[in-house]
Amino acid sequence: MQVNVMLFGRLADITGSRQVAVQNVQDTNQLLQQLKNNYPALGNLPYLVAVDEQVISDNTMLTDGSVVALLPPYSGG
Amino acid sequence: MKNEQVKARTPKNIFVKWAIAPAFIADSIQKHHSQTDIGGHSIFLGQVRADVIKGKKVVAIEYTAYEEMALKQMHAIREDIFAKYPLTCMHVHHSLGTIAAGEICLFVFTSSKHRKAAIDACEETVERLKAELPIWGKELFEDESYQWKENQ
Repeated sequence: MQVNVMLFGRLADITGSRQVAVQNVQDTNQLLQQLKNNYPALGNLPYLVAVDEQVISDNTMLTDGSVVALLPPYSGG
Repeated sequence: MKNEQVKARTPKNIFVKWAIAPAFIADSIQKHHSQTDIGGHSIFLGQVRADVIKGKKVVAIEYTAYEEMALKQMHAIREDIFAKYPLTCMHVHHSLGTIAAGEICLFVFTSSKHRKAAIDACEETVERLKAELPIWGKELFEDESYQWKENQ
């Protein structure tokens, strides 16, 4: 199973890419843990997590092809 | 003019890939000429500021967005604002890409029969979109370094 992760702002600077594919994770907690293992610099930064364009606050189950986005603090306008 | 309330129910693309030209703003005002039920317009224009941060001047802001999600969120804000205020119409445009200091990057335009609804709706829309839309500004300095902006 593959989950596609979109990263924005300073988070994309850390991963070096705005899109990262992550394999074999069942939920957002596992996904975030794996991302932090791969990119330790993500660990201390603030961000919201969106699954399929909905911001979540609790651990959320993922399915094959889920799109997860990590959203650092907004600065539009 | 056709019923703007109906038009407001359809998601609109707020993003433009360049700075918002003063002529575009003038043209938007002109387009309301035939809507003679409007008694007041309120306009907010966001302009890129040449802040000096640690001795380095911002020359431009490069905007990126999670566009699909931002358009959904903006649609929800628009629905809320139309439910709350008796507006005739609302137009929102936000720049993406590199916008030089002094250029316009945000244009919010509300119209109503009487001024108060237009003014209040404009202010609330600006506040909400700054807080809720997944848009990011990267402040570019004259020496080609940068920092990520955060809204106050």
